[in-house]
Amino acid sequence: MTLTAEHSALATAHREALADLLLRMADDELVIGHRNSEWTGFGPILEADIAFSSMAQDEIGHAQAYYRLLQDLGHPDADTMAFARPSAKFRCSSLVCLPRGDWAFSVVRQFLYDAAESVRLEALASSSYAPLATLVRKLRGEEKYHLLHGRTWMMKLGSANDESHARMQKAIDELFPHALGLFEPTQHESAIASYGIQPRESVLLEEWRRSVEPVIREAGLRVPANASPVHGGRTGKHAPALAEMIDAMQKVYRIDPSAKW
Amino acid sequence: MVMLAENRNDKPGDPGFEERLAAFEDRVARGDKVEPGDWMPADYRIELVRLIHVHSNSEICGALPEGGWIPHAPTFKRKLALCAKVQDEVGHAQLLYRAAETLGKPREEMLQELIDGKAKFSNVFHYPAKTWADVAVIAWLIDAAAIVNQTMMSEGSYGPYSRALKRICYEEAFHLTHGYDMCITLATGTPVQREMLQDALNRWWKPIMMFHGPADKESKHTEKLMRWRIKLKTNDQQRQQFLKKYLPKIFNLKLTLPDPNLRYDEAAKEWRYTEPDWAEFLSVVRGNGPMSAERVQSRRLAHEQGAWVRDALNAAATNQPVPMPPAVLAS
Amino acid sequence: MHDTQWRVFEVFHQSTRGEPHVHVGSVHAPDAESAVILAKEQFSRRQACVNMWVVPAEAITATRYEDADMFQHGTDKSYREAFGYETTKRARAVGDMQEI
Repeated sequence: MTLTAEHSALATAHREALADLLLRMADDELVIGHRNSEWTGFGPILEADIAFSSMAQDEIGHAQAYYRLLQDLGHPDADTMAFARPSAKFRCSSLVCLPRGDWAFSVVRQFLYDAAESVRLEALASSSYAPLATLVRKLRGEEKYHLLHGRTWMMKLGSANDESHARMQKAIDELFPHALGLFEPTQHESAIASYGIQPRESVLLEEWRRSVEPVIREAGLRVPANASPVHGGRTGKHAPALAEMIDAMQKVYRIDPSAKW
Repeated sequence: MVMLAENRNDKPGDPGFEERLAAFEDRVARGDKVEPGDWMPADYRIELVRLIHVHSNSEICGALPEGGWIPHAPTFKRKLALCAKVQDEVGHAQLLYRAAETLGKPREEMLQELIDGKAKFSNVFHYPAKTWADVAVIAWLIDAAAIVNQTMMSEGSYGPYSRALKRICYEEAFHLTHGYDMCITLATGTPVQREMLQDALNRWWKPIMMFHGPADKESKHTEKLMRWRIKLKTNDQQRQQFLKKYLPKIFNLKLTLPDPNLRYDEAAKEWRYTEPDWAEFLSVVRGNGPMSAERVQSRRLAHEQGAWVRDALNAAATNQPVPMPPAVLAS
Repeated sequence: MHDTQWRVFEVFHQSTRGEPHVHVGSVHAPDAESAVILAKEQFSRRQACVNMWVVPAEAITATRYEDADMFQHGTDKSYREAFGYETTKRARAVGDMQEI
C-alpha cells in the first residue's frame, strides 16, 4: 500500500471506515450504471433511451470517481477494482444487482436509488473528509436531473392507465425492501459517524423515506406497509444475478488481465 | 405550425411542372438549400425520404451489434465511451427520422416498416460482432466510411437533412477516434490481441468494401441524385476517398487485408481492388444477411416491449398536467 | 395519431447567460414536461447549456419561403447603417488634424 502523507496521518480505523463507505458507494454506482446501460439501444422511445443512457454513464462515472478516492487510501486503481475483483468482494446493495426487468422496474429502481443518492450526497457535502465533500458537491448537478427524470416518470406512469399503474405498483412492491437495504449498516457504522464522515445510515433512511414516500403517493401508488429491508449486500452476500453480471462485465478483461485494453 | 413540404403539381405533366422544375434545379445548382414548405418535384421527395429512412434505420440498427458489447467493455474508459457511442447512434436516428418527417413520412410509420422487414438498413449491420476487436473495427473503419459519406451528404441540397448531418459528423469524429484508439491498443498489445484485431479486420473487410454501395456502372439513380444535389459524389468516388485516407493507416498498424488484388495504381492515382459481389450485397440488404433477422427481431422486441410505456404517456397527456417542482422548472 | 406520433416540440438552447437561445432540433412528446426530460440529453449532452426551452411547434407562426422576397430591400437602405456615411473623410476635408 502506498499512501500520501495526508492519508498516512489518518488513524487506521479512520481509513478503514472511509474505505468501507467509499467501496459501498462505488460498487452501487458501478452496478446500477451497468444495469441501466443494458437499456442503451433498447428503450421504449428513442429520446427516453438517450436520457437513460446518459444517466447510466453518470453513475458509472461516479463509480470511477469513488474508486479513485479509494486508490488514495491504498486500494488498487479503478479498472482493477471493477474488472479484476470477484463478485463476492463487491459490497453493493441487493437493489442494484437485480436484473433490469421492464421499463417500470428500471425507472422505479432508478427513482428509489437516486433519491437515496441525493440524500447521501447532501449529507456528504459537509463530510469531515474533504476530498469526498469536494467530489460530491460536483456530482449534485447531475443528480438534480436524475431526480427530475425519476419524478416525471413516476408521475406519468403511476396512474396513466391500468396497465402502467399495475406495472409500477408491482415494481415498487418488489423493489422497496431492496431499497431499504441501501441503508444496511456495516461494522464501521459508528466509526463513520464519530469521525464525522457521514451520519448514521438510520438517519439517511428516515430522510429518504421523507423524500420518496410523498412522491409515490402523489403518483397514485401505494407505499408498501411493513416492508423489511433486504440486507447482506454490504457483507458480500449476493444473489447469483450479481456473479452473472460480473462475469459478463469482466469477460473481455479476463482474456488477458495483464494486457492493456 | 407544422412545416411540411408542399406537394402540389409536382409530377411531370402537372400544370406548370416544367417551369417550377427549372426554377427548382436552378436554385439547387446555385447551392441554395431546399427547405420544408418549398415546392419540390415528387421524385426529389421520394428519393430523399427513401435515403433518409434507410440512413435512420442504419443508425438504430447500428446500435445493436455494438450495444451488445457494452456489458463486456474491459475498462472504465471503454465502457463509458462505447455507451456514449451507441447512445449517439440512437440520437442520430432521432435526428434523421425528424428530418425525414419534414418530407411527410411519420416516424412511427418508418419504425413500423423497419420492424416489419419492409425497409432497408446499411449492409454492414447485417453481420455479427463476434469479438471485442469487432467493436474496435466497426467504430474505426465503418464510422470512417460513414464519415466520408455523411460529410459529403451534409453539403447536400435538403436543409433539414444537411443540418442533422452536420451535427452527426461532429459526433462521428469522436466515434472514429475512439475506434482508432481501440485498434491502436489492440494492434500494439499482446499477440492474442493482435490476432483478434486481424481476425476481425479479415471478416469485416468485405462488408466494408461494400459499404458505399454498388459500383457506379451498376448504380441506376446516380445522375438524377447528383443533379439535385442529394448526392455529391458517386459510390466509387466515396470508396476511393475512404481507401486513400484509411489504407495507409491500416498498413501503418502492420495489419493486412484479405484482398490479393489490392494495390495502388500510380498512373490513375487510385486503389485497385477485387470488385465486391454486388449480387451478394443486394441480397444482404434485402434481409438475407447472417444477422438480418436478428437485428429486425431485436428492434421489434424493443418496440413491442415499450408499447405500454408509449400508451401510458398518451393516456397521461390526456389526464391533468403534472405539477413540477418550481425550483427546477422556473419560467 | 398513435404511439410516439405526438406533438412536436421545438427545442431552444442557451449556451451561457447573455447569449440568445438557439434552435437545436425538436422532439416528439406527449406534453411539455416530458419534452424537457426527453430533449435534455438529446440536445445538451455535449454542448454547454444553462437554459433550455421547449415550445409546441404549432405555436410557431412562420412566413413562407416563397415570400422571402418581402425581406429584400427594393431601394438603397444604407442610410440605416454606419457604413452608409463618410464622416471621417468629410471631417478631414474640413480641417488639417491627423487624428479625428
